[in-house]
Amino acid sequence: MITAEQQVRWFEQQLAQGGPSQPEPDWLEQVREDARRAASRLPALNRKQEAWRYTSIENLLKHSFQSANDSLDLTVEDISDGLLPAMNAYRLVFVNGRYRASLPSLESEPFPDGVTLGSLSAACIRDAGLLAAWFGKTANPVEHIFTALNTALIDDGLFIHVGPHVELERPVEVIYITTELENTCLVPTRNLILLESGAGATLVERFISQGPSMYFHNNLTEISVGEGASLSHYRVQDESRNAWHLSSLYLSQGSHSVYRGVTLAFGAAWSRTDYHAGLTQASAHCLLNGFYAVGDRQLTDFHLNVQHVAPACTSREKFKGLLHGKGRAVFDGHILVEKQAQYSDAHLANDNLMLVRDAEVDTKPQLEIYADNVKCSHGTTVGQLDPQQVFYLRSRGIDARAARRLLSQGFAAEIIETIDVVELREHITDKLTGILNTALDADGELRNGY
Amino acid sequence: MLSIKNLHVSVDGKAIIQGLDLAVGTGEVHAIMGPNGSGKSTLSYVLAGRDGYQVTQGVIRFEGEDLLALETDARAHKGIFLAMQYPVELPGVNNMTFLRESLNAIRSAHDEPALDAVSFMQLARDKARQVGLDEKLLKRSVNTGFSGGEKKRNEILQMVLLEPKLAILDETDSGLDIDALRVIAAGVNAQRRLDRAILLITHYQRLLDYIEPDRVHVLVDGRIVCSGDKQLALELEKKGYQQVVQEAVA
Repeated sequence: MITAEQQVRWFEQQLAQGGPSQPEPDWLEQVREDARRAASRLPALNRKQEAWRYTSIENLLKHSFQSANDSLDLTVEDISDGLLPAMNAYRLVFVNGRYRASLPSLESEPFPDGVTLGSLSAACIRDAGLLAAWFGKTANPVEHIFTALNTALIDDGLFIHVGPHVELERPVEVIYITTELENTCLVPTRNLILLESGAGATLVERFISQGPSMYFHNNLTEISVGEGASLSHYRVQDESRNAWHLSSLYLSQGSHSVYRGVTLAFGAAWSRTDYHAGLTQASAHCLLNGFYAVGDRQLTDFHLNVQHVAPACTSREKFKGLLHGKGRAVFDGHILVEKQAQYSDAHLANDNLMLVRDAEVDTKPQLEIYADNVKCSHGTTVGQLDPQQVFYLRSRGIDARAARRLLSQGFAAEIIETIDVVELREHITDKLTGILNTALDADGELRNGY
Repeated sequence: MLSIKNLHVSVDGKAIIQGLDLAVGTGEVHAIMGPNGSGKSTLSYVLAGRDGYQVTQGVIRFEGEDLLALETDARAHKGIFLAMQYPVELPGVNNMTFLRESLNAIRSAHDEPALDAVSFMQLARDKARQVGLDEKLLKRSVNTGFSGGEKKRNEILQMVLLEPKLAILDETDSGLDIDALRVIAAGVNAQRRLDRAILLITHYQRLLDYIEPDRVHVLVDGRIVCSGDKQLALELEKKGYQQVVQEAVA
């Protein structure tokens, strides 16, 4: 079991691998320094901590991660497989965690007035005033050792600022690509997404890799959706099957704001996404949808922590998982409704479809309610394909494998259909079909299948 | 086309069908009638190949072939179709996709090229109109949230698309109003051809007013106790199962 000492030793090792490329500005260096200092006081993330009970970091801490080379020559052809070419979007590319200002033919028209899109690193210098005002306001830099590490190493990441009442008509597509690496590397990204009051945007983030590299992508994202603003946020975790991926998201919403998050996980050997949503202003709406497909040698974890603090906010959390092979998934959804948060309306659900007996899911939906006039529900299911449905399809000439594929796709459809960006939806549909075809072809699936 | 000899079927160790004989010739329409629990639905599931129905004795031949040796989907490829009494809902599975995959699976088994999405859509729309199914339901999930009548129409739509050699209609008339019954009967009658056969499973004579059978069989306790022409159905309606069966045995 991991001890606090082991954890700190690992943390120090990572810092020794090299820090940020630029020590300035001073305020940012202070943020980093605070995180460095705090790390030694953090409790160990082992199974004694409820939030880490089913998700071991033991293997992760066995590795000492090096800094990734981010000055590689990369052309648009190198990453074309990862693009959604038909999508008419503003595109940003991060290579091994660093913003790549220009890849030929990726350059789109200038962004509309009132919109800043690009590198956090550059924004720290250019928009220091704006950044200093927002930075770190919603995140907890010392939530645990990994958020502390992210903060201690803040260097680059995504920065989006959409000014008051500015509406981005095209989606923003952000690709985080990790190249083929010789060493086991740490890829830290730190994101800040700001929508001022009445602003609107659609953001598509995709985490991909070239080849089967081993790396740890440690992302921390702060999101602020201003009063009456609206953000549609799609995240696709499709990392290398040898990678670790951690995303810690911190969301704060203004009154009457809308956040629609759809998050999908397919890749990585070990991945975890933590959502912290603070509904601190009245009448905000927060929608969190997710889908995960987990197979052999994979662990996928989602933790949701939704806090209804202000009255009359609504939240909807719906996560669905498809498990095959010896896949393992963890879902922990927690909704807190504070005493003053009257008229809260919150519904949390997690459904899991097990294609085989060998897969495992640990799911825990929780409601904690202190207000007395609220509408809340939570539930979870773990099930198999319905033999009646399989029979129905087969009686129409569809073979057993295709029947199972169709039904599994149908199971996922409830989430995938909530993707409003057509090109992304099609990409995800194809992606899932590929995963299902491989999974259903595997011998073990037939032997051990339900 | 279909020949069943001395069929015995158990479900969970309980004997349901006990020595059933039936022969259906090409181009014929047979009706199987009988009280609740007589084994009508069991017969239809055994023909379609549903799991959990143990054939303990007997032979079923379809066009000379041993039907029981075939997997469910292979039976569909050979031309067997079961319109179910309770069509299953498939949430998230688009009806149009389902119908196309079905037709293309059957075409592929016959070495026919798959229909592309556009030509299939045209075909499905035409057939949907023919069976009175609202086109909007083609875009929805299979049977999900459909009314009872819509589900039955969707079954008949599948039948007219897949053009089976032997269509088994399991209580397709139940829960239908008179107008729906007429439309569905018209759909079934349009399927009547010299190279196809239809097996109607029903409680009531009403359906037979619209789809005229060549033969009527009465199934009681897992056996066919009497057979006749369409007059038998009328008699059943008048006298009830018990009396007709008693007269037949006597």
